[in-house]
Amino acid sequence: MSSMSDSGTGGRGGAELMVEQFHLKVLHAVLAVRGPRPLQPAASASFRRRDRWFHLPLHDPQPPPAAEGVEAPEAGEPLVVDILLAHAAAGGGGGGGAGGEVVERWTVVCEPWPDAAAGEGIPVNRAYKRCMTMLRSVYATLRFLPAYRVFRLLCANQSYNYEMVHRVGSFAVPLSRDEEAAMRSYQFVPVETQHGRLVVSVQYLPSLAAFNLEISSLSPSMLIADYVGSPAAEPMRAFPASLTGATGSAFPQALSNQPQRPHSWATPALWPQAPRQQARFSPPHLLNASPTPSPPNFPSGYLQSRPKGGSAPMSIPQVGDRRSPIHRPITLPPTSPRRVGETGTSSAQQSPSERCPSFGRADGFRIMDPYASLSPGRKGKDTKDESGRFSALSSCDSPRQDDIDDADYPFAVDDVDTPSSQPGSSDGKEARDQASSSSHKSQDAAVGSLVHLLKTARPLRNSNCPSQASAVESSEAASTSSVVSRRKSDALEELQSFKEIKERLMSRSRAKQQEPPEKP
Amino acid sequence: MNCETCQLKELELEQDEIKDVLRCILHTIFFHRTLTLVRPKDVDCDLFEITYVQCGLPDLEKEVDEKINQFIAWVEKHPNRRSQVCLSFFDEKNKNPSWFTSKTERIYWEQWFINLHVISPKGHGKSRSSKASTSIRGKALEEASSKRAALGLLIQEVLFQIINFANEKKDHIPPISDRIFNHEISIPR
Repeated sequence: MSSMSDSGTGGRGGAELMVEQFHLKVLHAVLAVRGPRPLQPAASASFRRRDRWFHLPLHDPQPPPAAEGVEAPEAGEPLVVDILLAHAAAGGGGGGGAGGEVVERWTVVCEPWPDAAAGEGIPVNRAYKRCMTMLRSVYATLRFLPAYRVFRLLCANQSYNYEMVHRVGSFAVPLSRDEEAAMRSYQFVPVETQHGRLVVSVQYLPSLAAFNLEISSLSPSMLIADYVGSPAAEPMRAFPASLTGATGSAFPQALSNQPQRPHSWATPALWPQAPRQQARFSPPHLLNASPTPSPPNFPSGYLQSRPKGGSAPMSIPQVGDRRSPIHRPITLPPTSPRRVGETGTSSAQQSPSERCPSFGRADGFRIMDPYASLSPGRKGKDTKDESGRFSALSSCDSPRQDDIDDADYPFAVDDVDTPSSQPGSSDGKEARDQASSSSHKSQDAAVGSLVHLLKTARPLRNSNCPSQASAVESSEAASTSSVVSRRKSDALEELQSFKEIKERLMSRSRAKQQEPPEKP
Repeated sequence: MNCETCQLKELELEQDEIKDVLRCILHTIFFHRTLTLVRPKDVDCDLFEITYVQCGLPDLEKEVDEKINQFIAWVEKHPNRRSQVCLSFFDEKNKNPSWFTSKTERIYWEQWFINLHVISPKGHGKSRSSKASTSIRGKALEEASSKRAALGLLIQEVLFQIINFANEKKDHIPPISDRIFNHEISIPR
């Protein structure tokens, strides 16, 4: 293996090919980590023939496509690769920009022997082995130098105020005295070949702190309507049939056909119109649209200071001193809706406590939750009508589209679904039935009356607001008035009635406990 | 066959920095001396702004980590000591092969000595006033970060020392086989 098995030829021709390939390999190695671009993981697991040269595949990251077109210089001519940092506005990108400051200069040259016969005695395989070591040194050095850090930054986010550009040629543009003085140089130990001495050297700035790299979005402000995951881009994505029908899972079929709910920051105009969505909380329609699809960063009390005409939102009593999620600024961008097949895990399989990380088992709104004794199945069914009313409770700190779609619980759920009741298991329904039937009849009756009371309760809405039926007819009008106003007095009244119900239930259960057990 | 030796510049470091420093140095040496077809892997140091290259061989990574852990265990028993980790490359030859015995002899062709001075971090005495203790803590943090930055630069010097030596001394390297060269990592006992 020490022979140049990959080159296929020995002697002078082999040496020539080796020198040419060495030049190209250095060029590719440099551009692979000095040409910022969105990096993708290495595609193939197998080695290509070109990778085998010098036993060093350049796969992570691979050289940019621009590197493929560059040819090795003529014999004896140097290969000069300048790496420049140019202001993002000025730089042309992709290596064309002449503007900018040189931060690194790589030079590869095969200095010919003064006497043609001088290199005759040098075996090709020995030179090849030395080239392997030198190439590894170049590869490692490329990662030690400060420009590598900048390259990584620019790959991760291309909206910096600087861009890294390269210039490839056989002529080095002379540096000014100041530039020369600021730079350090390093020359790798030359390798002697039949054609001459292979010399690789680098001049580099030891620190790039002088370049104040800052993220600056230079794109003009514009509203991006069809961002990834927006209803405008993919209006109604249904679950694949394989998940809902064929597998015989306990996943509710009805959910797959429902239109997707909007992101919490999406403007009302982009929402798919559904009557029950109009009652949901949403941030006010923003006029100053940001150029990026990230959510607006609201001041902490954006819901408290409302536009005129709407009353303040109902205040929800806290358990402990935890702030209600609706009063927190929404700062995290939610992920776009995932296809179940892509990630391997469906969010439907997450337990409710996983979906809402802000509520653990202990800190849900237990006092407020009249459905605490109901099974998850019943909960979803009985509360459909109420989904608009207490939607504030179900929203997490950063609601995710796919998480919201999976369940329609209006309250923070305390009980975690067991694996048996998750989609994909056939006996989930039976387990649920057992759980609901195990409770006493008296409890069921109490809960039933409570549910009835809630269903028939006076809605928390303004009398002048359009009803749900009319909201369907005038969907355009409904979309503009995204926030349904609520009155403090109504909320307090409702709260009072809840307290009374709670007291009644508590006293009943106390009475039950004090009664002597019935004889069988 | 002559054995080439390289004494790397001594690094003064704290115990929590050992793993990062040794990984970085050992893997850089291995990358220069593993001349078989490898899939190089870039690795960022946890504590320093340095990216080094590994060969992408899981067994080698495991071996390096095991040896580093053994060295850390030794340092815990012997604090504030100068120590040396040695990476040796060797060939194995049969010594006096006979009918009954086949003793193998190790012929070392290269040795790298990593010189470390592991020091214990200075403990700051408790201060009476909270303001004073806060300022002391702030100064200590500042001092620690500048010290770490200085160590980062020294590590970089050592890495260039490795590159220099690896390229200067090449005639002693045996023919490339289809596997990694025989080696051993020695730690103090």
